[in-house]
Amino acid sequence: MLFIVFPTFYIIINTNKTGTAMKSISNENIKSDFYCFPYFYELLYNLRIKVRCNVNSRKLQNCRKNPFCLFFSILLLINTFHLPADINKKIVNIGIYENSPKVFISESGKPAGIFIDIIKYIAEKEGWELNFVSGTWGEGLDRLEKGEIDLMPDVAKTANREEIFSFHEIPVLSSWFQVYTKKGNKIQSILDLDGKRIAVLERSVQEESFNALAKGLELNVTILPLSDYKKCFDIVLSGEADAAITNRFYGLTHAGKSGLKDTAVIFNPTTLFFAASKYSDRTLLETIDKHLSALKKDTHSVYYTSLKQWISEESVSNFPQWLKLIFVLVLLLLLISLTGSVILKYQVNIRTEELSRNNEQMHIMEKTLRLTATKPEMQEILNNFLLGALKLTKIKSGTLYLTDYKTERLVKSASVNVPDDASFSCLHNLSEINSSSFMSKSFKNNSPYVDLSFQIIFPLAAHNQNIGALCLFSEKEIVFNQITVNLIKNLCATVAVTITNSRLYEEIRAHEKELEFEVARRTDELKTAMERAQDADRIKSAFLATMSHELRTPLNSIIGFTGIILQELPGPINEEQRKQMLMVQNSSRHLLALINDVLDISKIEAGELKLLITTFDVKTSIEKVVNMIMPQSEKKGLKLNIHIAGDVGISKTDQRRLEQVILNLLNNAVKFTEQGSISLSCSTLDSNYILSVADTGIGITHENLSSIFQPFHQIDSGLSRNHEGTGLGLSICMKLLDLMGGSITAESRPDEGSTFKITFPGIDGVKT
Amino acid sequence: MKQRLLIIEDNEQNLYMMRFLLEKKGFEVTGAETGKKGITEALKNKPRAILLDIQLPEMNGYEVAEELKKHKELCNIPIIAVTSYAMAGDRERILAAGATGYIEKPINPETFVSEINQYLLRE
Repeated sequence: MLFIVFPTFYIIINTNKTGTAMKSISNENIKSDFYCFPYFYELLYNLRIKVRCNVNSRKLQNCRKNPFCLFFSILLLINTFHLPADINKKIVNIGIYENSPKVFISESGKPAGIFIDIIKYIAEKEGWELNFVSGTWGEGLDRLEKGEIDLMPDVAKTANREEIFSFHEIPVLSSWFQVYTKKGNKIQSILDLDGKRIAVLERSVQEESFNALAKGLELNVTILPLSDYKKCFDIVLSGEADAAITNRFYGLTHAGKSGLKDTAVIFNPTTLFFAASKYSDRTLLETIDKHLSALKKDTHSVYYTSLKQWISEESVSNFPQWLKLIFVLVLLLLLISLTGSVILKYQVNIRTEELSRNNEQMHIMEKTLRLTATKPEMQEILNNFLLGALKLTKIKSGTLYLTDYKTERLVKSASVNVPDDASFSCLHNLSEINSSSFMSKSFKNNSPYVDLSFQIIFPLAAHNQNIGALCLFSEKEIVFNQITVNLIKNLCATVAVTITNSRLYEEIRAHEKELEFEVARRTDELKTAMERAQDADRIKSAFLATMSHELRTPLNSIIGFTGIILQELPGPINEEQRKQMLMVQNSSRHLLALINDVLDISKIEAGELKLLITTFDVKTSIEKVVNMIMPQSEKKGLKLNIHIAGDVGISKTDQRRLEQVILNLLNNAVKFTEQGSISLSCSTLDSNYILSVADTGIGITHENLSSIFQPFHQIDSGLSRNHEGTGLGLSICMKLLDLMGGSITAESRPDEGSTFKITFPGIDGVKT
Repeated sequence: MKQRLLIIEDNEQNLYMMRFLLEKKGFEVTGAETGKKGITEALKNKPRAILLDIQLPEMNGYEVAEELKKHKELCNIPIIAVTSYAMAGDRERILAAGATGYIEKPINPETFVSEINQYLLRE
């Protein structure tokens, strides 16, 4: 068991291979010396870094406070008390000299080395008390020979020595001799030693065997025997000797440190033993053999531990300071990087979590936006928005308020899991927000408002206009990260626009409905109006029919009886009577003409006038009309010129109406011409006929010419009614010709006369 | 032998005038103020022709014409419509109803009898 005490604390590591070291320390009453290793014991142990420390009183004081420390202190005390119990112990005197690492006096003045560790172990087991007698190698051998000491460690077995000393059977170590020289000296084989001065340990096997070797090889060497190995190296270093021969144990551990280097010259394998005095107890050697045999079998035994420890000790001490520093630095770096990586991993974990949360939030955000943007129904938009916001914040309840346009008050528009009191207090806050200066600050900046009862209120604003608020109710205080806040703000902004759009959409729809209603109403009105108009039309038609009958019936009598009297059918009449009866006849005929014209124009305008299309000879019709007008023109002394082209033949239209038109034109010509002539000509024009009536009458001024086809137009109306007429004639003519698919034009110069031209369909009728 | 004509006309003056003109030219004229009376009279006397006004009380001229055509003994008597109806289709309508002639009111006393004679000669 090894106690490893850290400068301020302790660390105990259980290892049975170091147990002996503890015991040996105890044997020598080294009670407070511990092998202390820092935290990485194993690592340092492998690198053979030994840190020694003394446990001072303060540390012990600290130690006592700890139960483990106390426990081990007690163990230590038990050990200490136990040790001097055996008073009649066998005392073994051992010679000791400088031959590290096999045998030497340590810096603290204590015997140490591989041989010492082994003999200490044996002594411990056998209950011997060891008594170390120090001196040189030579002195030691002398003392052993004289029997002043019992054992001499590290003695090679030779024939000479076996005569004067006793040896046990199992060798402790085996070794070679090696030649060491100053750096720069070129000694590559034993032959290179020729003529050199060689330092050796006096009375050693090296001296003996090298002498024999040199003689055998006939080398001329100067042997310089010295009392210990150190001196051998020293004189090589100072130049008094060229090379030194030592065993490899000593050479390996000391050459580098002394500034010498090893050569390739290795010779004479030797086995090393404890040599005993001829006078000492023979059982001593047997006991050593017994233990050696056991120790060598067990790889964890003190034999191997010691071997490991001492052989590499010098290399440990050779461990350069800078390497240690680098090591410590590397260790520090390792620690830092380890800590760093742990922290990094922690941060990465946090960030990953954050990212996955953000990802989830983005997902919710996207879904909410999609749901709110694609639904036309306001309530659906609001519900989806509220649910999305709750998911984003992981809050369970919330309410959405919208500002009513008309009242400008906040109206609860959607709600999830909201208790009444929360809703109430939210309204309270909102009214504050709406009214107070708070509005102009954070609420207007689209920032959430968080109050003491863990309500989080996000404003909803679209086009810089506040349209409502999103209130979330948390059961505990919630701190949002900036991303979440931004997300909700963005969501609020987007949805606010959507809500505004939806409202506009709804308004538009309301308008649409209003319009539809209005259109339906107007349609109804129009329908009614049309029905009324149709009724009126029917009434008008009926009226026209009635008028036609009722006006003509009395006229029928007047005209008829006048005609009968003038024919003197009832009896003869005198001249005065005839004259007056003619006046009655004229007036009644005029009245009939008026009535007919009014009825005609009314019928045309009512669409009641239907043409009766027949085929007839145009020339015959013209002659018929001319015959009708002839008496009047002759009466006024007007010359009537008729010219009908040879190709004028059949027309397909309403004969009676065409005759009416021609009669009207001729009537006008006679009426407005006092002297001169009236010329009628007719010819074909393409598939139509063209007929013109020209007179040498009063003519029409240019400005009047455009309005002569208007109904109720007579140029000199108002002043002196020189000319009878309704003013409807030309208007009727134009309308009739329109119906027939013909046309009428007029040319005139005042006081020179007028020319009216009409076209009407030929044999093929109206070309469509 | 004088030709007998039946005039169905509700206007007293017109009936008188037509009767006067026709009698002057040697016709024997019977008058009826309504369609019903006219049909009865026609069935009784079997006139040479019937002068028929369209606008009549109770039964209008078209109906009278149709009714007259239903009687075998009357269906060959020519019907001459004398009417102030001058709306489009009037002439066609009365001709379709069975009239053979059409004289528009107001009548011309100078040509009236000759027009009647022309229709009678056409038969």
